[in-house]
Amino acid sequence: MHDGSGRIEVRQLSKNFGSVRAVANLSFTVAPGSVTGFLGPNGAGKTTTLRMILGLVTPSEGTATINGMPHDKLGNPARVVGSVLENEGFHPKRTARNHLKVYAAAIGVPDRRVEEVLAAVGLTEAGDRHAGGFSLGMRQRLALATALLGDPQVLVLDEPANGLDPEGIAWLRSFLRDFAKQGRTVLVSSHLLAEVEQTIDQVVIISHGQTMYYGQLADLRNAQRPRVLVLPSDHDALSTALREEQITEIEPADDGRLAVMNTSARLVGDIALRAGVAIYGLEERHADLENLFFQLTSGQYTAAPPQQLGVPPQHPQDKGNTGWGGQR
Amino acid sequence: MGRLIKAEFRKILSTKLWWGLLIIALLVAGTWAGMLSSVFDDLAAELSRSEVMRLAGVRLNEISFSVLFLTRAINIATIFPMLFGGLAIASELGRKTITTSFLTAPNRAMLLGAKGITYAIWGAIYGIAIIGAATLGIVIGSGGDHLVGFSTWLAIAAAGVLSCVLWTLLGLGVGALIGSPVGTVIVLLVYGLALGPISDLVFTGMAGGDANVAGALPNGAANGLTGSTAADTLADEIQANATGMSKVSSELLEGFQDTARLAAGGLGSFGLLASAAIFFAWAMAFLALGLWRTQSRDIT
Ligand SMILES: Nc1ncnc2c1ncn2[C@@H]1O[C@H](COP(=O)(O)OP(=O)(O)OP(=O)(O)O)[C@@H](O)[C@H]1O
Ligand SMILES: [Mg+2]
Repeated sequence: MHDGSGRIEVRQLSKNFGSVRAVANLSFTVAPGSVTGFLGPNGAGKTTTLRMILGLVTPSEGTATINGMPHDKLGNPARVVGSVLENEGFHPKRTARNHLKVYAAAIGVPDRRVEEVLAAVGLTEAGDRHAGGFSLGMRQRLALATALLGDPQVLVLDEPANGLDPEGIAWLRSFLRDFAKQGRTVLVSSHLLAEVEQTIDQVVIISHGQTMYYGQLADLRNAQRPRVLVLPSDHDALSTALREEQITEIEPADDGRLAVMNTSARLVGDIALRAGVAIYGLEERHADLENLFFQLTSGQYTAAPPQQLGVPPQHPQDKGNTGWGGQR
Repeated sequence: MGRLIKAEFRKILSTKLWWGLLIIALLVAGTWAGMLSSVFDDLAAELSRSEVMRLAGVRLNEISFSVLFLTRAINIATIFPMLFGGLAIASELGRKTITTSFLTAPNRAMLLGAKGITYAIWGAIYGIAIIGAATLGIVIGSGGDHLVGFSTWLAIAAAGVLSCVLWTLLGLGVGALIGSPVGTVIVLLVYGLALGPISDLVFTGMAGGDANVAGALPNGAANGLTGSTAADTLADEIQANATGMSKVSSELLEGFQDTARLAAGGLGSFGLLASAAIFFAWAMAFLALGLWRTQSRDIT
């Protein structure tokens, strides 16, 4: 069943709602065995894209396939892909257990599976309560239980951490990692990079319906030049000493500190010692992903032409954009 | 498909709507039939004053007038299976449970097909229960007088069940077309309780009681489906029982049939088979439109 064939492919996907272009020419692939983060600010088109992958919204242009097939050709789709969607509906007067029994029947799995998924999400006790009386986090857990009913090879999750308590979020993270380790596929959306950063391998960042970045999270991190934030007793003396060592990219940073690019805290400390400059604070910053994400998705990039799509990832800075990363 | 039908049954049985509507339908059918039977004297008196009765010398006691109450009770109670069908897809759209329903079905057409089959079965369940309640109401209300023969009862019962099935499917289609539960209930109630009956009256009034456009509209056709059998049965009985039948001109008899049809609630209808065919076509047309709309709807 989970033979690693659960590949999601999105090709030149677009969707217009009347005059609103919700998704514009989006392409990416989610490989089995990995967790892909689908990131973008509010209204970027994440939900619309995920719903097109699931066959709930008809694309205006392009295709979205799972295992090479559109959703309505999957046979028994819930066996292939499970999903947790934004503001998913439950009948308020139906109990959680009965809700799951309905869809267990539709998928054709035995009722014992209902107990298994209830236990998996920690809702066994609440199983006979009406879904209408559930908290946001409990509803999210019930949605996840529904997604797991068919033991699918692909999981598509739209902001699944919404409403989950810290314990729930931690559990979800390790659950998704384990799920991917079994060779299955996870596509998870969020508007916060920090929320999924520890979970994902690959990232698709979109803004205004267009791809801003598509590639490995590690590459994105490495693309960020390391910086050292230092608070010296004498700014000028340290700057001069650094320049003598060919370390030239120095900028003033907040709190009276200096930001020094492409170096390490150790090196800066040694140079300061030799120059006789006292150091009151020294901090090494690697990838400030959240800051990067913010810049990728904020206004300045929306006017940029969409990237070449469907090919191995290209980083925005490769196109000659400067400033982000070191800018502070 | 079997899996999806099982899921639909579980959906229905795990909430209370089905029996809430069913209880009200039974109460309405039973009391309506019972009340009509017990105020039967008025209606009987009027019919016995009619030219046909007088000329033919029919004795009223031998006529099974209770068929009229049976069909009337059925006609009014069909509102409930219609609403039940109306909420089938509309409430899934309104509550967004349609998302999961679509995601767990091979495709939309299969899900909608399963819904159609499931609700046709439920329409029949409502129909059988309503006929049981109406029959009971008549037996109690009339104290056992003027009951119909078994074969007539069976014919009307069959027409009643068919009517309930078709109303359910028509409701399902309308609900799928409108997409909101509240909107669906309002539209169905306004048509079923006001617009339908009033337009039937107006058109029939304009046509002087003859079969007319009212019988071609959903409400008129549905009432014709149940009412025609009753009206024909009465006319046949009168012909058979009449001692002075030769004196009854065919024109008069036709007029009587119209009166009886009116009493049975089937205003201006075209007779049993035509009414059945017309109502079937209406139900299928709305069902097809609703399913087509659902097939192409974006679920956002
Ligand atoms: N049914 C609809 N009708 C009209 N416009 C829509 C519809 N659904 C989405 N949109 C528009 O499409 C755009 C993308 O919306 P979408 O819900 O996909 O964004 P999102 O990335 O999921 O945002 P969020 O982080 O807020 O969930 C928005 O401008 C939204 O207003
Ligand atoms: Mg969204």
